[in-house]
Amino acid sequence: MPEETKKRNWFDGVKSVLYGMAGHDMARYALKTRGSMEHLFILITMGDLLGIPILPPYYSLRLLPYVVPQISTWKRRMLREKDLTDALA
Amino acid sequence: MSLREVFEKNPDRRYVMFGGKGGLGKTTFSAATGYWLAQQGYKVLVFSVDPQASLSDIFKRDIFGKGPVEIMPNLYAQEIDADRRIKEYQQEIRQKILNMYGMDKVPEEIENYIQAAAAEPAMEESAIFDEVVDIVVSGKYDYYIYDLVPLGHALYYLSMASVYDQWIDKITALRTEMEEYSKVAAVMRRSKETEEDQILRELQYIKQRINTSSGILTDKQKTAFFFVLVPEEMIILDTKKAAELFAKFDVPLAGYIVNRVIPAELSQQEIPEYLRNRLQMQAGYLGRIGQVFGAEVLTHVPEFERDITGLPMIARMADALFGPAEAK
Repeated sequence: MPEETKKRNWFDGVKSVLYGMAGHDMARYALKTRGSMEHLFILITMGDLLGIPILPPYYSLRLLPYVVPQISTWKRRMLREKDLTDALA
Repeated sequence: MSLREVFEKNPDRRYVMFGGKGGLGKTTFSAATGYWLAQQGYKVLVFSVDPQASLSDIFKRDIFGKGPVEIMPNLYAQEIDADRRIKEYQQEIRQKILNMYGMDKVPEEIENYIQAAAAEPAMEESAIFDEVVDIVVSGKYDYYIYDLVPLGHALYYLSMASVYDQWIDKITALRTEMEEYSKVAAVMRRSKETEEDQILRELQYIKQRINTSSGILTDKQKTAFFFVLVPEEMIILDTKKAAELFAKFDVPLAGYIVNRVIPAELSQQEIPEYLRNRLQMQAGYLGRIGQVFGAEVLTHVPEFERDITGLPMIARMADALFGPAEAK
């Protein structure tokens, strides 16, 4: 293995460790917050799906294609009292 | 000021609307104004935002859902087919889902939602609202004449614009915040910039559509809104209330037109007591209208001996509204 690559591998390793120590939690927190907001967003645009009409439906349909993958997890989350990730946090 | 002077002195007011209670002559005046402007050499589109439109009846042509139809040189009329627009729109959404995720069939849950959304009562109004934006931004005509829905609906239509606007602002803010969190996570993990949030772009598109439409409705430079009323007590009271409400939404009121005035000369003739009483009552209410609306009353339009349908009658109505035609 050439000296350059070895050095970089070692450096990457250090970076990963540092990320694990300092950054990972923050990143996870940011993503988790974003996930919650995603669900809030779907609630205020697609509330009808749960039987909560919130919004004029014409324009909410325009947004529907973007949230198709999240719809099923969102419904489960909204209808469940406690979230599994609450326990993990 | 007469109605004619209002048009001549404000050549920039290219969006013309007639509002008022149902059955007072909004469609008639829309058609007659379109006719008069077309005679002057302007290219005019009269279009209906009413799901129960009556332009077909007044022009004696079936124009429903056919796009802009040429009635005579320079004069076009259009009735929006909201149902068809909704169906096409639903299909567009389905297709987008299929393309985005490479599915052969829209998932049942999603399909149900698409169908349920279309059944909402607000859907029709929203669809028309959206099509109006297409019509007015096209810029193909010199004048756009809105044949409005009766008062209650018109207010709903106007308030919808501001409700939509606030709603969009809120979710755009939420969406922007979400974008921030994604970016934070991306920076932490030292991965590349997140891909641009398409939803945010979609929201901005919706916002821009709504602002265009409500912007026109409240633009004092470009829009003239006329109230139609008749000399009857209830109508006077309702019109006054409605005018106050419209003023709250910043609709630029350009004046009032009194329709269905029985010609006063009739009282010189041998007429039955019944008609004489009506004339007397009318004189009283015309006085009231003068007191309540003052100089903003632009013109009185006589009750015709027959209903206004077909171009020859529309031409007579245009004469009554704007004064005798002059060749240009």
